[in-house]
Amino acid sequence: MFISKAEEKLVKRFILKRLFSGTIVVLFSVLFNFVIIRMAPGDPTRLLAGKDNPSPEMIAALREKYGLNKPVLEQFWIYLKQLAHGDFGYSYVSTAKVWDLIETRLGPTFLIALTGAVIALVLGTLLGVFAARKKGSKFDIFLCGISYFFDSTPSFWLGLMMILLFASILKWFPTYGMYSLRGNYTGIAKVLDLLRHMFLPVTTLVLIDIPYFFRIARSSVLQTMSEDFIMTLRATGMPEKKIFNKYVMRNAIIPTVTVFGITLAYMITGVSMIEIVFAWPGMGRLMLDSITRRDYPTLSAIYLMLSISVAVMTVVVDIVYAWIDPRIRIE
Amino acid sequence: MAKNKKNTFTKILKTINGNIQLKLGLIFLAILLFIAFFGPVFAPYNPYRLNDDLLMAPCAKYPLGTDNLGHDILSQILYGASTSLKIGFIAAMISAIIGVTLGGIAGFYGGWIDQLLNEVMNIFLMLPDFFLILMIIATFGSSMMNVMIVIGMTSWVGNARLMRAQAKAIKERTFIQSSFSMGESKASILVHHVLPNGIFPIIANTTMNISGAILTEAGLSFLGLGDPNVISWGQIITAGKAYLPKCWWICTFPGLMTIFTVLTFFLLGEGINRVLSPKMDANK
Repeated sequence: MFISKAEEKLVKRFILKRLFSGTIVVLFSVLFNFVIIRMAPGDPTRLLAGKDNPSPEMIAALREKYGLNKPVLEQFWIYLKQLAHGDFGYSYVSTAKVWDLIETRLGPTFLIALTGAVIALVLGTLLGVFAARKKGSKFDIFLCGISYFFDSTPSFWLGLMMILLFASILKWFPTYGMYSLRGNYTGIAKVLDLLRHMFLPVTTLVLIDIPYFFRIARSSVLQTMSEDFIMTLRATGMPEKKIFNKYVMRNAIIPTVTVFGITLAYMITGVSMIEIVFAWPGMGRLMLDSITRRDYPTLSAIYLMLSISVAVMTVVVDIVYAWIDPRIRIE
Repeated sequence: MAKNKKNTFTKILKTINGNIQLKLGLIFLAILLFIAFFGPVFAPYNPYRLNDDLLMAPCAKYPLGTDNLGHDILSQILYGASTSLKIGFIAAMISAIIGVTLGGIAGFYGGWIDQLLNEVMNIFLMLPDFFLILMIIATFGSSMMNVMIVIGMTSWVGNARLMRAQAKAIKERTFIQSSFSMGESKASILVHHVLPNGIFPIIANTTMNISGAILTEAGLSFLGLGDPNVISWGQIITAGKAYLPKCWWICTFPGLMTIFTVLTFFLLGEGINRVLSPKMDANK
């Protein structure tokens, strides 16, 4: 890739600016997290001490253990130091380390989130490109209508309907969990069991995500096809097929790739509702449990991880985009 | 004069007829508003009334069945319509007001104000909004007021960016420049000329935001973070979840109503967008 000195400077400035924004977002999230936990109504020590007339000594000991008796600024400093070590503190409910709670849930969440996102990306883009080529046909109109429908559907409701149809009525798939509890399968049988359990949550996720990729692929192909250089190629008499495969696709695919990067960052939020419906042992369940039990440290740790990953992904995507597409640097 | 009026009317009618999204959206909106305003009149029961028949399947007495406490589902859905619409409208209005104000100021004044506000927008754009809303509602309580305010405060960036671009473009037009030379103050020009001329894309975006807010509220209700003092479709679905395989009617109908409502505002937004930028007609 050839770029001039001046352009290189522009790119560098752009990257620095994005990194700066990303850093501010992370700092803001950390501060927000700290403030919201301290401002939360209800005293966590009361919750921890239980209902049977806790003694003042016990409450004092608990305040000591969680560092709640120190001045707020010192608490914030301790909080920052802990975070720097990757320590999210202790859960108010189970007294386990928050990170230990999260760690066991990450794998299952990534498993369905990634699978779903990749399938949705491939299917959505293919359908979008196809619809754009047959613009105005019955097929195109049908796909656009369907995409509106799934765009308007709450993911958890779709999940419930999937359970109703495929698990309860047709009995093709299990309704909940990751493995059959009584199966005790090993080897290939275990993988098959996992796939059977994955099918419905992943399908739900794919159906919810497809319209997004579909619309981006469709409009970006249409956009490219209406550009002047395509007209020029047509005027030279180049076959339509060649124009499409060689020139339209290459330009139209860039937005899809970018959007996919950002989708990955938002994965956990998107998938959490679906996890709850299917009792999938992932971050979504942990989130729901933390909400119902008012376990603020766990909730805020999930939020923090999420906002950091969104910030990092956005910045990375922007930078990659700037390298791929020179037009963006001029802005 | 009368003839002129008729002409405008036929023109509007022609625009609507040529635009399937707008046409469908308006028809659906009429149905929705009718349900929201007159639903309570047609509801067969008081939605809070605990009937003696628990978990009844849809029948002549209860057209859409009853839930585990004996609430009539149809009546609850009819009463819930106004909750969804209220949350959608007010949250979207809050986001429109914040967005138009900040975006207008940023685009019109330019300079360091623009840079600062732009940076703020970038930051808000990077915050995972659903989870942010969830955190705030989980900590500070789930009254309908809180839900509307928080959704509004986290969804304004789209509006602000649109308004900023509009203000930047309109600022350069001749009639604004002549207002300057006639000695009109900057603030007055912004309020009287720039905002009214740049508002149309915001209207389309705000319509879409209504959809977003309704979906967010449904999601919050599903997590048990809905306002316990009002009837909302999301909460009916949540309550019915436990009885799912056998008592399918509790979850199914409020979900369908949610889709219908969200779809209505999506279509309206798309339709308005299409009227505003006829170029988009090319990729219909």
